[in-house]
Amino acid sequence: MGIREKQILHCSISANYRLMTIGIPKALIYWKQPYFWETFFENLGFKVLLSPPTNKEIVEMGVKVADPETCFSNKVYWGHLLWLDGKCDYIFVPRLKANGEKLEYCPKLFGLPDLAKILVKTPILTETFDERKEKFEKTLEKLGKKLKKNKEEIRKARELASLKERELKEKQEFSQKIQSEKRKIVLVSHPYNLYDDYVNLRVKEKLEKLGAEPIFIDEVPIKSQISNLKSQNLNWPKFHWEFGKEIMGKIQEILNYNIAGAIEISSFGCGCDAVIKEFVEKTFKENKVPFLYLMIDEQAGEAGIQTRLEAFMDTI
Amino acid sequence: MKKPIITFARWGNYTIAFRTLFEQLGLEVVPPEKTNSQTIAEGAKIAPEMYCFPMKVTLGNYLPALKKGANTIFMVQNVGGSCRQRYYGVIQEKVLKEAGHDINFLDFRAAPKDIYSAIKKISNASFWQIIKAGRFFFKKLRLIEKIEKMAQYYRPREIEKGITDKILTESFSKLEELKKEKDFPKLKREIFKKLSEIKIEKNKDLPKVALVGEIYTVCDPTINFEVESKLGKEGIEVHREMDITYHLKKLIFPWKDWIIQRKINPYLKSTVGGHGRDAIYEMLHYIKEDFDGIIHLLPMACMPEVTVRPILEKIHLEDGIPFLSLSLDEQSAEAGIDTRLEAFIDVVRDYHKNKRL
Repeated sequence: MGIREKQILHCSISANYRLMTIGIPKALIYWKQPYFWETFFENLGFKVLLSPPTNKEIVEMGVKVADPETCFSNKVYWGHLLWLDGKCDYIFVPRLKANGEKLEYCPKLFGLPDLAKILVKTPILTETFDERKEKFEKTLEKLGKKLKKNKEEIRKARELASLKERELKEKQEFSQKIQSEKRKIVLVSHPYNLYDDYVNLRVKEKLEKLGAEPIFIDEVPIKSQISNLKSQNLNWPKFHWEFGKEIMGKIQEILNYNIAGAIEISSFGCGCDAVIKEFVEKTFKENKVPFLYLMIDEQAGEAGIQTRLEAFMDTI
Repeated sequence: MKKPIITFARWGNYTIAFRTLFEQLGLEVVPPEKTNSQTIAEGAKIAPEMYCFPMKVTLGNYLPALKKGANTIFMVQNVGGSCRQRYYGVIQEKVLKEAGHDINFLDFRAAPKDIYSAIKKISNASFWQIIKAGRFFFKKLRLIEKIEKMAQYYRPREIEKGITDKILTESFSKLEELKKEKDFPKLKREIFKKLSEIKIEKNKDLPKVALVGEIYTVCDPTINFEVESKLGKEGIEVHREMDITYHLKKLIFPWKDWIIQRKINPYLKSTVGGHGRDAIYEMLHYIKEDFDGIIHLLPMACMPEVTVRPILEKIHLEDGIPFLSLSLDEQSAEAGIDTRLEAFIDVVRDYHKNKRL
């Protein structure tokens, strides 16, 4: 945090003691920990402004300012940032580097706050989350210091937030879905593609209409088999990306159930998916599960996706 | 086990040094094919569509070598830190095996210990032999880098156009044929003598352009459509810092990275994998050195370089230095690149002239 930023922060806190608003873009990294951040900041006594669900204008705004070769998900994120610009005192853009298992996030997320600073005029609130070097709790305390909150307040807010996060996440019932009579389709992708209905062109709704039971890959519970997986001879490399390990582990788990087909959705320009797709496809094909690869970008039309989904459902 | 016949990833003129390394170890080597539009097309055909360009290129270079009888491929992983380069080996192995090639793929981490044990296992060379091969490899590598740098100086100043490139090609082919370490000093002297005999215009006021960006595309003239030589022939002095020695130095001495980070702190506060930080650092450095233009080279959708490109563009807007970003892939055509370069050269010359006023 630069000196200037500190000064701004100080002034805005001391000068006008109204409720400070923190904006959170509801895209990309938001979906890594949905509900957590908004609850966390609310419990600290701030007003939180979430950007609306992705819509056409947001995507268009993002595409206009983004580097043409960056991935679609990043472009959507810029759109959300621009929507928040000027509407709040701070925009929260964490720098996610490594998670609790010491696995890295996508390298594009490393530079997110710096690129956000170039893009918007609203000051950016950021902190580096690198659990190879520092515990998550510790980083939160550092973030709290910037907001003039003491350790105790931070601890309380964190506990409440993670409680709420867990509560909301548990609603998705995997066991019920898996016992469904309908044809079960696994959707493999990153959370920011799965939960953002505009981005994935309502693929879940479409599949339901076609009489299938879509299951998101991140709903699949991982039983305590991770240690077993290590000893086995895997047919994919040891990924240094958190999602790589998670997705492949969950695919291994879902193969134990009777599933009708699998669809992988990836955003255009995603570098990590180019690697992972090879092994996702290989694993499903080896197990004789029909596999469809869908690429989404700002030009993807609903009709095109509909046709491909229908054709895929017919082949099953 | 079959007798290993080695091929490896091609990388510009450095291929000569790599070939020597394996030959000195007593291994049979089929060097990878020189990159041309056909190898690129062949590689791209079997590679994953969304993967980055250098992986497709090197894959295409293996294929003719495999046809000629090579059965073992050397690949280094983890050169780029957080970026996709880490998975080149696994993906290439998978793709080649799916295409029906029976190969032994040696994919090792870029740590001296790992490299040593991998070499030891495949070649059964003695410790002394490995050290000697390594020494010869570095000698050749340093010479290649040195003459590339000298050529950058001679090209814009030469009176007889094209003579530098001619000498360069000759020198490289002689260097490739050189098998004995004891003949090396003689050849080195010969090359230096030839280069110094080039007639040049001294004290010429030349515009200077720097190449920054992804290491593979910056260093391999066959990939970047010989940007260096084209600019040189137009009377522009080209500089680049990126080469293997630079990369190795950074691996061995981590403080170089700390210095870079401190310099670029106002723009980027973290690594983004690959040589993302270096591009920003170099651009700032060249602006300070009073350069007249920056060319940013990257493979299409390269994760680190695409991340830093908005920052480079911001620096360009702040300072006003001409900036051109060229992303290369199997679909980029020479004519398109040429047109953009020509326009850029005009801008650079203009900038250079106006700066002096």
